[in-house]
Amino acid sequence: MTSHSMRRGWQRCLAGVAALALAGSMATSPAQAATSEAPASENVLRIATDGFIDSFNPFTSFYLVPTNTFRYMYENLVANDAEDGSVTEGLATEWNTDSEGKVWTYTIRPDMKWSDGEPLTADDVAWTYNQMMEKEEMAVANGSLVENFDKVEAPDEGTVRITLKKPQANNPGQEIPVVPEHVWSKVDKPGEFKNDEKSVGSGPFQLESYEANKSIILKANPNFWRGKPKLDEIQYRYYTNSDAQVQAIRSGEVDFITGLTPDQFTALEGADNVELNDGNGRRFNGISINPGVADAEGKEFGTGHEALKDKKVRQAIRAGIDAETLRKQVMQDYAQPATSFIPAVYPNWALKSDNSVISGFDVDRAKRLLDDAGWKEGSDGIREKDGEKLQLRFLTDADIPTEQSTAKFLKPWMKDIGIDLKNESTDADTESERTTKGDYDMYFSGWSINPDPDYQLSINTCGQRPDAEGNGGTSQDGWCNKEFDKLYQAQHVELDQAKRQDLVQKALAIHYEEAPSVTLWYPNQLEAYRSDRFDNFTKQPTDGGAIANQVGYWGYTSVEPVSGEEATSGGMGAGGWIGIAAAVIVVLGGGGWLLSRRKKSDDRE
Amino acid sequence: MSTPTHDPHSGDRPARGTASENPGTSPTNPPGPATGPTPAPPGTDPTNPSPASARGSAGAAHANTAAADMDEPPTGGSFARYFLRKLGGAATSMVLVIVLGFFAFRMLPGDPVLKIAKERPMSPAQIAELRSQYGLDKPVIVQFWDYLVGIVTGDLGESYVYRKSVSALIGEYLGPTLLLTATAAVIAIVLGLWLGQISAWRRNSLFDKLASSTSLIFWSVPTFWLGLILLMIFGGTLQWLPTGGMITPGLDPWSFAGIIDVVKHLILPVVSLVAVVYAQFLMIMRASLLEEMSEDYLTTARAKGLTEDEVRRRHAVPNALLPTVTVVFLHLGGLIAGAVTVEAVFSWPGLGKLTFEAIRGPDLPLLQGTFVVFSAIIIVMNLAADIVYRFLDPRVRRA
Repeated sequence: MTSHSMRRGWQRCLAGVAALALAGSMATSPAQAATSEAPASENVLRIATDGFIDSFNPFTSFYLVPTNTFRYMYENLVANDAEDGSVTEGLATEWNTDSEGKVWTYTIRPDMKWSDGEPLTADDVAWTYNQMMEKEEMAVANGSLVENFDKVEAPDEGTVRITLKKPQANNPGQEIPVVPEHVWSKVDKPGEFKNDEKSVGSGPFQLESYEANKSIILKANPNFWRGKPKLDEIQYRYYTNSDAQVQAIRSGEVDFITGLTPDQFTALEGADNVELNDGNGRRFNGISINPGVADAEGKEFGTGHEALKDKKVRQAIRAGIDAETLRKQVMQDYAQPATSFIPAVYPNWALKSDNSVISGFDVDRAKRLLDDAGWKEGSDGIREKDGEKLQLRFLTDADIPTEQSTAKFLKPWMKDIGIDLKNESTDADTESERTTKGDYDMYFSGWSINPDPDYQLSINTCGQRPDAEGNGGTSQDGWCNKEFDKLYQAQHVELDQAKRQDLVQKALAIHYEEAPSVTLWYPNQLEAYRSDRFDNFTKQPTDGGAIANQVGYWGYTSVEPVSGEEATSGGMGAGGWIGIAAAVIVVLGGGGWLLSRRKKSDDRE
Repeated sequence: MSTPTHDPHSGDRPARGTASENPGTSPTNPPGPATGPTPAPPGTDPTNPSPASARGSAGAAHANTAAADMDEPPTGGSFARYFLRKLGGAATSMVLVIVLGFFAFRMLPGDPVLKIAKERPMSPAQIAELRSQYGLDKPVIVQFWDYLVGIVTGDLGESYVYRKSVSALIGEYLGPTLLLTATAAVIAIVLGLWLGQISAWRRNSLFDKLASSTSLIFWSVPTFWLGLILLMIFGGTLQWLPTGGMITPGLDPWSFAGIIDVVKHLILPVVSLVAVVYAQFLMIMRASLLEEMSEDYLTTARAKGLTEDEVRRRHAVPNALLPTVTVVFLHLGGLIAGAVTVEAVFSWPGLGKLTFEAIRGPDLPLLQGTFVVFSAIIIVMNLAADIVYRFLDPRVRRA
């Protein structure tokens, strides 16, 4: 071993380090460094995403990202407004029903054009709906929305008439993307059509191109009936994890991100040029309690604890939970206080917090309820009845921190009222399998709710309960109550909005009082955007709502580039130099090594 | 059961300062159950006696007699016999993997269709329609038969999510993964072997201590953690390098700007991948060179008047490379599977990301496909290691 060759090793190392440092020093200060070269146009909104995409076929795709994209690509017969999600004009300017709500007639706006310039008429609407009613493969995504349709006709270019099998109060023209007949009728197998380039539609943006796991590019539609959007282009970029998305908004590689955790959101508070939006969301989280699940025939199955069939025990569980502390501690205040399963962003439908049925956190009441139910405190503080202990299993998803913290809070609270709660944290798949089989006592649940409460109410009716194999039903809590069912049916056909709201309040009050689930909070959707590049995002609800995942196309359609923005240099940023430097190092390093080998072979020391 | 989020190199760690007892013989588990052919100690696993497993830190070639005896029947085996024996072993492993690939994922809890339908207004009719589209309404044995016939004919079924044939998808995503892993492999091997030989030659010097301990520190760091830290520093804070993806959307990958852009996107994932694996190569090289350094032929070489450098380069290193090459081969398969974590951190559109997505689904056909392909790569690498070794080391050939 010689010091000479050792030095040479070190020299090479140092040379590498020096080259890197040099590359670094070429970098301008981060504030001016354009990470990626400036976008082709200042007018491109870049959004980070990580969603599944099977296709952009609105008849078959049911994943979140495509569904949200359809809302920008295709106008519906009627839309849900930005203010509070109520029904507003879409392709139709006005609509009316017969006296019982069985025949709905829509007047279509005249002189509308598809993005390719072809006229858009009532025939397109009727054709779209009929495809879904006649062909199974075209009903994969939204079949449930047309299940009640008897026939759909277009008596003339400006009128659509929907005749239903049974009357309903919920406007049947919502949420079904209307596609151009002149394009789709020529498609050989429309059920397998990917529709992933140069789409033709009626919404504010049209799909330009899609590269799986890389990008989705949407271009503004000049023929959009509300007028061409101010943005030229929306570019979704794929980021596999949300931590990378947070870094991307810090560095300015993307302009908008959503779905942040409270920690990530807080971490972005000091970031330059990043505006945060803590938007009220349309989800609820809660604890579903096994009320003794049974199938649609009433045959019980599963392993739920006997005690939970008594509503007093379920009410005691609610009275023993300090939901406000959970909301503040677990959700760090990024959630709204909750009543029932219709979130507060729908003020017309949500259960009012002054309803007489509502009862808060009350340990004494919880103990009284359990005493009444016959569960007496044993020597160890855990209640017993007929020699059986009140031990309950709480299923949670091990991957979701909020569920784990909730379980930590719940255990001592339940012990206070004499219930021994065991947290069984598992994976989402096991959880879903066990809950469909009724193999649980309590589990942490959550749903996203659409503007009309009808669907969510319907899955709380007796008929929605599954069979023992877990087939056929999508019941929210496996609960069944005849009173509730009557109210559901009544509101389902009540055309008078005020009367219908009253019926929904009554139904929700029954659900609250029976307590098959305890709603804990309505989580906020945490979002961030680059305020140095864009502003004028529209929220839904307009007052304090969220920008992404809306029921509609308000979020990005109104967005404008910030004027007077300094054009970022079209030149290479630091990254470009580092890339070149890396390539140079590899070439030089390889060359140097070869040279050194040649030199060394006739080296004599 | 390891999942792709499982750290790819947690399976085997070298004991500090010696080569690992079983250097790199447990290749990174492919996603799914660990069925990567993990060679047992020689003589217990006739399907896969790995030469590398016979060399512990004291594993000079003569320690390989057990394996040699087993591979070479006393009648004196020809190369063809040896090759066929190894091939048979590999084929057996492959059949097991194929059978396991089907049943393991079917034993996973949860129902893919119900998971897809979760929180969506779906009628029972819609759910039944999905089931029949995915072929999940057939009896399991029929599904298994279809799957076997599919594998034989090279048809791995159709992905639920992408609605495309799994073979086509894997072909599409293999390119980016190869770019990432090949770059990382070359750098890690060159760096590891080069540092390893210097370390061994100057045993216990400052350089040796620094190089070995640094590499072991990186080896112990979880890949995703290191990746995220690099991402935060160089992507988020300094903003020198992109935070994810392979190329900026809208660039032509074959233009000059496009190539530079891809290189920029490559740097962080490659650095993360190299950092956590190069220690294995360094340690193996160091250990085998230390073995050789006490050999008599080096004294002879020095007596001939060769310089230290020449002694090292012409005599010691070539011999020390024997066990090293085997380990390198074994690790190449593992590297590809190890890309899963790095791809998930850096949003790299490759096979790892595809596997990650398939698990999120769960997209059964895609999971089966990636599982079989990953396992096949590792089995082929093992076979290659066996064969290369036989060519490299005349002692195995009983020359």
